[in-house]
Amino acid sequence: MTLKTVATQKTSPLRRFALHSTTTCAPQAEVYGKCILATYTDVSKDACKEEFAKFGACLREAVSIYPSVLQY
Amino acid sequence: MALVGCSAPRRLTRLTRSLASVSSKPPNPHSVGPYQVFDRRAKQLQKDRAAVREGGDRSRLVDYVREEVADRMMERVMDIKRKFNTVLDLGSGPGHFSKMLEPDTTSKVVMIDSSEELLNRDPDSEFEVEVQRIHADEEHLLETIPPNSQEAIVSCLSLHWVNDLPGVLIQIREALQPDGVFIGAMFGGETLFELRTALQLAELDREGGISPHVSPMTDTRDISNLLGRAGFTLLTVDIDEIKVAYPSMWELVEDIKDMGEGNAIIGRRHFIPRDTLAAASAIYKALHGSEDGTVPATFQIIWMIGWKPSPTQPKPLERGTGKTSLKDAL
Repeated sequence: MTLKTVATQKTSPLRRFALHSTTTCAPQAEVYGKCILATYTDVSKDACKEEFAKFGACLREAVSIYPSVLQY
Repeated sequence: MALVGCSAPRRLTRLTRSLASVSSKPPNPHSVGPYQVFDRRAKQLQKDRAAVREGGDRSRLVDYVREEVADRMMERVMDIKRKFNTVLDLGSGPGHFSKMLEPDTTSKVVMIDSSEELLNRDPDSEFEVEVQRIHADEEHLLETIPPNSQEAIVSCLSLHWVNDLPGVLIQIREALQPDGVFIGAMFGGETLFELRTALQLAELDREGGISPHVSPMTDTRDISNLLGRAGFTLLTVDIDEIKVAYPSMWELVEDIKDMGEGNAIIGRRHFIPRDTLAAASAIYKALHGSEDGTVPATFQIIWMIGWKPSPTQPKPLERGTGKTSLKDAL
């Protein structure tokens, strides 16, 4: 089963979200994970805000039901 | 009039939807007794729902941890050279352990579980010995089982949802005949510490605070003390570990749900924002991920064996009655 078919199948929104968080947006997730890993002994709110903003933007783009061209 | 007619059903649906997330009326988290940690009613509902999801297929798919533990427990039961008439399986679920019992160990098994759906998930034909199912609360064992009536009581991965663990152990000891044996396995120690830390870090970074998502776990030391306090003798307590690799945190969380092992702590949050979930998934992988791209989940199992005291049991000799000097032996 390819990524495309899974993503377009009628799966639950949370499943699609989960899928994108580990595939489409894996690079951003890795950057964010590394940032937390570097600071995990002293984490405060928004310690890795910038990294997460990129990860979150990627996820929102990936799960969006509109083609991305419409957003620009 | 038309307006009222329109708005009334809508208000009603909204009301019922908001009630949908309230599974039961938990005791007030601020005024509960010392032993109220888990919402037993919510736990029973979670197990019932897990057992009927997709006709029980989801539940059967995630039997892997329990079957492994049941198998290891069978080894311990085989060490007891005794033929039982009945064995009581406390918190049996669909009978992961009971299914492995053979006619030369016991003639009959009695299964007790608080989730009726889970108790009746599998047909009698899968068991090799006669089986009796009792739908009852494990926390009130003596209400179902008369004292001094059981030869052996086993409990395979259910005691970790019990609020009053000291009380249940005392009830088990009471229900046993003199020289009866209790063998138990429960999740404890470092179980799911990866998920616990990932969620804590994600909540800290995203929301600035933490809330309980993984149950507080019992320690091996506590278990030896509790067994002793409950009046068991000839104690054996040890710890064992099962590590399972998952593709990502999402699969782990879904399997936990299908096992009926979701969060049931009193005063838990019923909702986690998606941002926090995505962050937790990324942190889980960065902090604990293996080189092959999978993420591990640790299950630690605390094993306990205790016997009800009886005058016929072997006892240590009096102090000073030894005839052989250790100095000669060493």
